[in-house]
This record gives sequence, structure tokens and C-alpha cells, in this order.
Amino acid sequence: MAEAIQKKLQSELEKYQQMQKDVSKSMSARQKLEAQVTENNIVKEELDLLDTQNTVYKLIGPVLVKQDLEEAKATVAKRLEYINGEIQRYETLLKDMEKKSDQHREVLSSLQQEYQRAQGLAVGKV
Amino acid sequence: MAERNKRNIEVPQGVDRLRVEHKKVVTGCEVQIQHWEKVKGDYEALEDQLKTLPDEVSYDIMVPFGPLAFMPGKLVHTNEVTVLLGDNWFAKCSAKQAQKLVAHRKKHVRSALDDLHKTRKNFEARVGFTEDLEKLSGAKGDYVDIREEVGSIEEFVSKGKQRVALKPHSKPKMEAIVKMEEEEEEEGGKGGSRRGVLSEEELWARLDELEAKEKLEEEHDRHFGSADTNGNDDTTSSSSEEEKEGDGGGHHRVNGHDERSEGKMSVPHNGGQVNGTTRDREEEEDKGEKEEGNSLPTIYFSHTVEPKKVRINTGKNTMLKFSELKEQKQQAKKKKKNGNGHSHHGLHNITTPTDLYRLFVDVKNGEPIPRKSILKSRSRENSGCSDTSESSAADFEERRTFGRTLSHDENTCSDTSDGITEEDSPTGNPLHPTRRFEAFSCTVVEKEPSSIPHLTIAPPALPTIPERKLEEVAPEAPREAPKRVSKFKAARLQQK
Repeated sequence: MAEAIQKKLQSELEKYQQMQKDVSKSMSARQKLEAQVTENNIVKEELDLLDTQNTVYKLIGPVLVKQDLEEAKATVAKRLEYINGEIQRYETLLKDMEKKSDQHREVLSSLQQEYQRAQGLAVGKV
Repeated sequence: MAERNKRNIEVPQGVDRLRVEHKKVVTGCEVQIQHWEKVKGDYEALEDQLKTLPDEVSYDIMVPFGPLAFMPGKLVHTNEVTVLLGDNWFAKCSAKQAQKLVAHRKKHVRSALDDLHKTRKNFEARVGFTEDLEKLSGAKGDYVDIREEVGSIEEFVSKGKQRVALKPHSKPKMEAIVKMEEEEEEEGGKGGSRRGVLSEEELWARLDELEAKEKLEEEHDRHFGSADTNGNDDTTSSSSEEEKEGDGGGHHRVNGHDERSEGKMSVPHNGGQVNGTTRDREEEEDKGEKEEGNSLPTIYFSHTVEPKKVRINTGKNTMLKFSELKEQKQQAKKKKKNGNGHSHHGLHNITTPTDLYRLFVDVKNGEPIPRKSILKSRSRENSGCSDTSESSAADFEERRTFGRTLSHDENTCSDTSDGITEEDSPTGNPLHPTRRFEAFSCTVVEKEPSSIPHLTIAPPALPTIPERKLEEVAPEAPREAPKRVSKFKAARLQQK
């Protein structure tokens, strides 16, 4: 009885740890996105400060490719929107994962209690 | 004691960990700050460089040639700068434009630095707090064992019992306060908390004294037909019950109590007392009606000690307070029910929040006696005036409905009874019809036909104090009827 519970407990524990890892991964991905958002915001602002006279280049691999200022601005704006959308997606994902991890936590705690009870009984029996 | 010791042991551990975490954040903030300071320095150097670069057409420099070698060369097109805008975007600008971009970036760096400084300050402060807490908790263990803890607990127990009777809410506050003091202060705190406890006990004793005084005064008033003291006693006792929680509040009450008992003209006192307590108002309502009787030469029974009554007396045109209106409504309702009793009355007539308050107070029995007395008076009045009141029952109902709506509005709108009282319009004014309050005020009991003529002078006669009525039921019955006539009705009657 105690052993069965112990096995269950271990499996649940592993699941929970996996969940935690996923959560942390999503968190780090979201943080990266946040950094990109700030960067793109700065680029957008600086592009606004420039004239059309200045040539804008984009680094594609080892090549600096000339770009139109307006085109560059549009591209940056699109990229910003894309990143924001990604952030939203990750946020919802995080929430779901947190809920699931909470559920797992509860299951774990209940299993732990059972296990302790079983242990106590076993000790008593012994 | 053992539990306390355990807690003290645990608290330092928790506090210690908290302090460690806070310090970590502080160090992290400092690292970040250093990083950003460096960045800021770099940008400033860059700015200087950009300023001087266009000075010459070309510079002779040592050009890095591979990872290990340099070559002499020239730096040309000194005004053309290719700027990395971020995210693999470049822009070719003049030196001046580049300067602008650099300035823009420096703004960002400055804001980041400011945020970091703020967070660091916050956490440094937190670290300080946790350290203090640690010291206190650590040192406390000894102190607690020796002194306060036991004493304070005992005091709490005793006070708690008392308070349960009066106000269950006050107890937890007291405990929290004492605990806080114990936790945060060493000797000073403990002494202070103890002192606070003592003062509260003193307050309780004082309140008891005052209550006894009031009762004596009530009896005195009954004999002399002065209603003020009775009302005051009730209100003060109830108010005192309500404000058990704070020493300041208790003191306030004590003062008010004395003042009320002393004289009718305690309007300012009322204001202080009634601050935001509908219960007070309710009591005052009961008494307010009585006050009007005071104002009227014939009706001396109006004992309402409450300042509301005083106001009514002084300002004849002023309407009864909102609480009074509600009281009237309740009274009307009671009349309908033939004054079965206050308890019944309250249970049945829950139409306005004040009703709830009244009920609530009754149920709580903070001080059931004074409340009951007030209620009893009302019920008795009702029973005494049942005949007369029935005639005006319909009127009361109408007004009651008005009053109910108004009362609700008033409850929602006004935070303090004072505000509501302000809204009450004088009963005798024609303007009042525009205001809903007047309608309510009109729900005054029509107990005394003789009071009708008086009503012209003063708006609805207030029901006499219950105790007095008991003594003078026969002579009072006719008077009571007119007293209860609402101001509105009185005016109409007069007009007729």
C-alpha cells in the first residue's frame, strides 16, 4: 500500500517537475521577446529621427543591403506587431501552464498526505 | 509561552531568510547599475568623439589589421557615420545626426538607471526593516517571557469578554495592536501597549459610570419632562458601543456623553458623535421625534437627548433628520402592527439600511437595554397612539414609500449622518416638497391632536420618550397623536 502510493507520488512529482520546466522555458522565451520589443521600439524611434537623405541598410548575413527609409519603418512596425502578438500568445500559454502546475501541486500534496498516513500505519503495524 | 518561544524562534529564521533575499536583490540592482553606468560613460565618450570628428577632412590613424596587427592609414569621410540602429538595421548619417541618435539613446539609459536606483533604495529600506525585525524578534523572546505577553493576554481576555457583549469587532483590533507593539518595539512598545490596555480599561470603567449617570438623569428627566438626557444616554451608550475600538474614539464618546447629559444644546457634540454612524442616527431619530415635542411648549416629553432633537428645536423649520424619517417610517409600520414590540418591529420592517442597523444593533445587543428602552418607548407610543395612528396610517405609508426610496438614496449618497441631516429640509417649508426628505419627515407620528396646532410652530411632533410615555400614558396619548403628525400633514391641517 505504501509502496504503491510512493510510486504514484514519484510519478506525479516527475510530471510536476516537467511542468515547472515548461513554465520556466516559456518565461525565458517571453523575456527574450520583451527585450526585442524594447529594441525595436528604439529602432523605430531612431528611424523617425532620420531624414530620407540618410541611407538605411539592413544586415542580412554578411551583407549590408540598402533599404528605403519608409520601407524600413514599415518593416520595423510589422515586426513590432508580430513580437507583441507572440508575447500575448506566450502569456496565455504561461497562464494555462501555471494552472496545470497548481493542479499538479494539489494532487502531489494530497498524495503526500496519503503516503504519510500509509507510512504511519506501516510504522504502527511494524 | 512555549508557543510564543517557538514563534520567536521561527520568526528570526524567516526574517533572516527574508533579509538575505532582500540583500540579493540589492546586490543585483547594484550590478545592473554599474553596467548601465558604464554604458552611459561609453555614450558620452562617443558623443565627444562625434563632435570632434568632422573637424578634420581626414585623420592619420593606425588601422587594426586582423586580430594582432595595425597598419597606418587614413580616416576619410569623417562626417559620414554608419549607425547601428538595432536589430540588424543600419543607417548612414552625418556626425550631427549621429549625435542626435546618441542623445536619444542616452535618454533610455538614464531612465533605466533611475529605475534601478529606485528599486535599490526600496530594497535597502526593506533590508533595514527586516534587520530591525530580526533584532526585535530575537530580543523579544526574553522580554516576552518576562513581561507583557502574559499580562497583555490576560487583559485581552478580559477585554474580549467585555467586548463580545458590546462589540465583537473591537477585540481583534486590540489584539492586533498589542501584538504589533510587542513585535516591533522592545521596551517602549511593551510599555506603550500595556499603557494602552490600561487606558482602555479605564475607558470601559468610565463608560459604565457614564451610563449609570445617564440612567439617573433619565429618571430625573422623566420627572421633569426633559427628554434630552434619555436620548443622550441611549445614543451615547450605543455610540460608545460602536466606537469601542479606539481609545480616541472612546475618549470622544466619553466627552460626548458628558456633554449630552448636561444639556440639550449639544449640536456640535452630535456632529462629532454621529460621524458616519447610522446607528446613532437611528437612535437620534427616535429621539428626534421626541425633541420636537420639547420644542413645542405642550410636548415636554420629547426627551430625545440626541442633538438631532436639539437641532429640530432650534430650527423649527428644519426637517427631521434622515434617521428621524426612517424612524417615523418604522413607527408607522409599528403602528400598523399595533406595536407588538420593537424586536418584531425591527424584524419586519427591513426596508432601509437604517432598519438593518437597528435590527443589527438589537440582535447584537451591544447594549440591549438602552436600545430596548428606545424601542419600547416607540412600541408603547404605537400602542398608545394606535387609534390615532391608524387614521394616518395611509399617509404614513405613502410617505414611507417616499422615505424608503429617499432613505436608500440617502444611504448611498451620504457617508455620514451629518450629511444626511443636512439634506433634511425643514418640514414647514414649501420647498420641501421638492425634496424627498420632507416627505419622510412628514411621517411623524400623529399621536396628539393637540400637537397639530403646535405643528405649525414646529414640524412633526416627535414621539415622547418611551419611559415618559409610560408614566403619562393617559394624558400623553392625546398628545402623542398630534405629535406624530408629520410636518407636512400638520401644515396641511393648519391650512385647512
